[in-house]
Amino acid sequence: MRETANQFAAQGWDVTVVTIEDESWELDSGVDHTLSEQVDPRVNVVKLPLRREDLETDIRGYSAERAVDPPQWVKSLRERNAESFPEPTFGGWRGALEEAVLRLHRERPADLLLTSCVPYVSLAAAWRLWEEARVPYAVDFRDGWSIDVIDGNIAFGRDSAEGRWEERILGSAISLWTVNDPIAEHYRGHYPEYADRVHVVRNGYDADSAPARPHRPDPDSGLVFGYLGTATFPTNLLRAVLEGWHLAREREPLLANARFEFRGHTGNGSQRGTNRQVEILREAASDGVSFGGPVAKADVAATYGAWDALVLIITGGHYMTSGKVYEYMATGLPIVSAHAADHDATNLLQGRPLWTGAHDVDSESMAASFVKAAHMSVESTDEQYAAAMTHAHQFARESIMAAAVKNLISELQVRKGHTQ
Amino acid sequence: MIDVLFISSSNPPVNLVADTVRLLDAEGARVWYGGTVPSAGKDDELVDVPFADRHRLPRTNLRHAVGLPNGERVWLRNRTDSWLREKARAAHVIVALDNGSIYTVWQLARRNRAARAVFGLSPALASVRELAREGGTPARGSSLPSPSFIAQETLRVARELPASVARALTSRSIMRSSLGAKLWRVPLRAPGVPDRLRVATGRRVAEAMNWAGRRSGAAYALALTATHISDPATKAELLDDSVQQELDRGVVPEHLGDAVQALLAHADESAENGRIDAAAQSLLRALMLGFHRVVHIDQLSSPLAEDAEAYVKPFHRSRAMQTVATTRGRVRPAAPPPTDRPLRLLVMVRANDHFLPQILDRYREHPGVELRYLDLAQHRALRDASSAPLRVLKERLGGDDEYAETVERLLRPHLDWADTVFLDWCLAPSGMLTTIDPGDTRMIIRLHSYEAFTRWTHMADFSRIDDLVFVADHVRDLAEVVVPQLSGPQAPRKPVLHNAMPLNDFARPKTPDARFNLGLVGVGQVAKDPLWAVEVLRLLREEDERYRLWMVGGDMPHKNSRASRNYRNEMEKVLDPLVESGAVLRLGPTDDVAGKLVDLGFILSTSVREGSHNALMEGAASGAVPVVRNWPFYADKANGARTLYPEGWIVETPAAAAERVLQVNASEENWHDNGKLASKYALSTWDWSVVSADFDRLFLGEQK
Repeated sequence: MRETANQFAAQGWDVTVVTIEDESWELDSGVDHTLSEQVDPRVNVVKLPLRREDLETDIRGYSAERAVDPPQWVKSLRERNAESFPEPTFGGWRGALEEAVLRLHRERPADLLLTSCVPYVSLAAAWRLWEEARVPYAVDFRDGWSIDVIDGNIAFGRDSAEGRWEERILGSAISLWTVNDPIAEHYRGHYPEYADRVHVVRNGYDADSAPARPHRPDPDSGLVFGYLGTATFPTNLLRAVLEGWHLAREREPLLANARFEFRGHTGNGSQRGTNRQVEILREAASDGVSFGGPVAKADVAATYGAWDALVLIITGGHYMTSGKVYEYMATGLPIVSAHAADHDATNLLQGRPLWTGAHDVDSESMAASFVKAAHMSVESTDEQYAAAMTHAHQFARESIMAAAVKNLISELQVRKGHTQ
Repeated sequence: MIDVLFISSSNPPVNLVADTVRLLDAEGARVWYGGTVPSAGKDDELVDVPFADRHRLPRTNLRHAVGLPNGERVWLRNRTDSWLREKARAAHVIVALDNGSIYTVWQLARRNRAARAVFGLSPALASVRELAREGGTPARGSSLPSPSFIAQETLRVARELPASVARALTSRSIMRSSLGAKLWRVPLRAPGVPDRLRVATGRRVAEAMNWAGRRSGAAYALALTATHISDPATKAELLDDSVQQELDRGVVPEHLGDAVQALLAHADESAENGRIDAAAQSLLRALMLGFHRVVHIDQLSSPLAEDAEAYVKPFHRSRAMQTVATTRGRVRPAAPPPTDRPLRLLVMVRANDHFLPQILDRYREHPGVELRYLDLAQHRALRDASSAPLRVLKERLGGDDEYAETVERLLRPHLDWADTVFLDWCLAPSGMLTTIDPGDTRMIIRLHSYEAFTRWTHMADFSRIDDLVFVADHVRDLAEVVVPQLSGPQAPRKPVLHNAMPLNDFARPKTPDARFNLGLVGVGQVAKDPLWAVEVLRLLREEDERYRLWMVGGDMPHKNSRASRNYRNEMEKVLDPLVESGAVLRLGPTDDVAGKLVDLGFILSTSVREGSHNALMEGAASGAVPVVRNWPFYADKANGARTLYPEGWIVETPAAAAERVLQVNASEENWHDNGKLASKYALSTWDWSVVSADFDRLFLGEQK
């Protein structure tokens, strides 16, 4: 979203971004102010006082009903939210989002609205502005809605409340972006009548997150494997990775004194930084595993630069890519894949040197991959590094977003041409 | 110094708590910990956490807390704890570590208005950092409780006064005496009492009786109250509670029939008035109670076995249930197997694949079959949809079209691919599977045995099933009585096919002592009735002390039900001295049953019910002489153990069983000959090499 806004600004647009207050982000996935600093100063940011009530941790703000039975209260809240919009977590934001968008349009009429999901409730605001003021809109759908990217199943039918919303939104959108080809294909197959509106806009990586040539590994003081990302993957996946790590350290002398550092945001609300995944990581401390919390955007490159290999832990399969994979590729470091073999990340990594390959996740295959990566880290050549970086360059976010924004602007012009 | 109070109502994540305490310490805070720690192991781990003070909060719930939400229960047992009150008054930050302790923190924060009150470790750390940034701590005790708090507390005391009086009059000592307990029935029967007051009194008396340990009295009080209530919903709820309390104790409830009737009546009334949700809820409860495992599975008898027709009559008479059981059929008949390509066979199961390995192996390799295997439990969406009884009922009652759409979306791709679907076990997935019209795909479900005693067969639409496969005639007979759809014009075919068992490997030479060893393989369910085997052993040992009973298999799981636990406790008492003396050997679970059978000269089937009793068939194949109790659930029916096995194997009583063993064992040669005959019979009747032809016919039709 930041890069998209910057690209519009760079092309001379007057851009307003509607988001929620910093404290609300803090309550949810956390907030990185160094990231906000990179927003083009010409972009106007409007922060709405919306927050996820279910994540509230100040008990003084609880009603007696909530305090007595928190799960039941949250269940009722979700039901109430879903009455406004079929998204139990965020549905209740619908009114405020619609009002804000209408108000902003009154103050400064907009030519285009681009909405990004999640949450999907923002689609309601796009629709309202379209209905009341005929402001064209596009949807940056990211992982899509009607496809469950984790399980690979259809998430809901066209006759469900969600299905009716999705169809309505797609019916008038000028463009629909998804993060990968499988999701795009799902939409093209599901809504053949709108197939030409569907575009793949990959996440890509920020050039400033890529380290300079990483340091030379020092097996004597211990190789360091790293994971940087949100630690919200299923616990059984994490356990299999850690079991594999344990076995690899037992079997491979290069790994005997190796460390495995996890960094990133994890958990939200009362569990922020202290969820079950962190507990599992703490339990693996004797295997050199540690959890170091979030890394500010400005420090990302340095964090990667201090590691010798990366571990790509992602849930899901065919329909899932995850933004991490681009950033990982751009480090030039060996990558251990800890995800299903049939995964979109596999498609991207195919052909990259310094990659262990993807073999589904069980402790034995993970152990073999860790051993392989350990050797790659000490034996890799400058040529392999250069080839890995060349492989990554095609995914630089700035150029991906610049092309996507240009394309969207021309789609808008074509649409205007049709309607004039 | 910033004082922080952690409150926990369950096992805390010790490592994370320890990390946070260290971080708080670095910020200049000290941490007190008050927790209800259920497990001793966790308590030990907490010793290493550098708390300034640690205190165990009360763990016993108060009588009047029974039935309240967890948060309130935790608070009620904590609120008089002097350590907690003292620390809560002094704390600058009060922290709930889990959902259960939130209400306690909420209450304490109303008494100490200056303290911050937060949920979670990170928020605790953030609060302390904020306080430190603000340069100090607010003066302790600077704030009195709020006026609204005082008002509410006063109101609460006033409101609870009659209850307090009632509690005094229903104290444990009074209710423990029969006279006291009986006296309380009087107001429950009294005429002219408004429903609301009667219900409140009935519940109070039940609570008191439970508290005094008079469990059946409590259930009786609820049922008695229900008989004087006219509102169908309230009546059903009271009887439901009464019956559930008894089931929780592992007892077959006296008022089970009344509860089922009341729930069905409420379901009928709700459905007629368009309240589909309430109708489905009531119907589901009626089915859950009526077909509860405590009543039919974890007992040595079942009202279904005694008189199935009478037992299911109330269900069949319910109009709501009739709507659910209305057949919807299929638009097109199943297509015949393809002739130009292999048959596409989809084998479907939900987790329990115990009876499938041979079938899967055979048809994976079969040139005429392309096999796919789908374990519903392995796919989140399918797992959820295949265990959604309430949604199935709502859909059948016309109140949940979305469920049918979901099932359509999830299953249609599989149905489009498959020529034939074979679902093993007629349990929850059968309801899902028959929610949608299968098109021209042939649908087969296999019903083993215990499914006939569950609610699931009442939630499937068998008009959409082509073949309902049984493993024995007697199970089919019972299912036909219980489920009218199985006899109607749209009924599926009902072939009987033996289970797929490779028996060849079981025929091995016996050890010399085998002829005095009785084997009971599989003892993990009440229905196996191992105590019957013990009685046989006792009678035999009166004649000859060389006889021993070998029990193979895992024990009855404690989690099944209290009824199962009761049987097991009784069994353990009987077995302990016998194991000690060497008369009984408990071998536990094994992967090598064939290896164990070489030591066994006799194989017993002592069950009260079985489908086909595979372990007995394996034993017979091994050359152990079968001794089969005439399974009482089916003893007086047209089919049963008597018709499934050769007549000579069957006995009616432990005495007859002992007599058969002694007769067979009159000489070693006689025993040997009998074993050989049994083995020959088993191998020629039940071995997979024979039975597989029946499966070929089932899936592929008559082969030319």
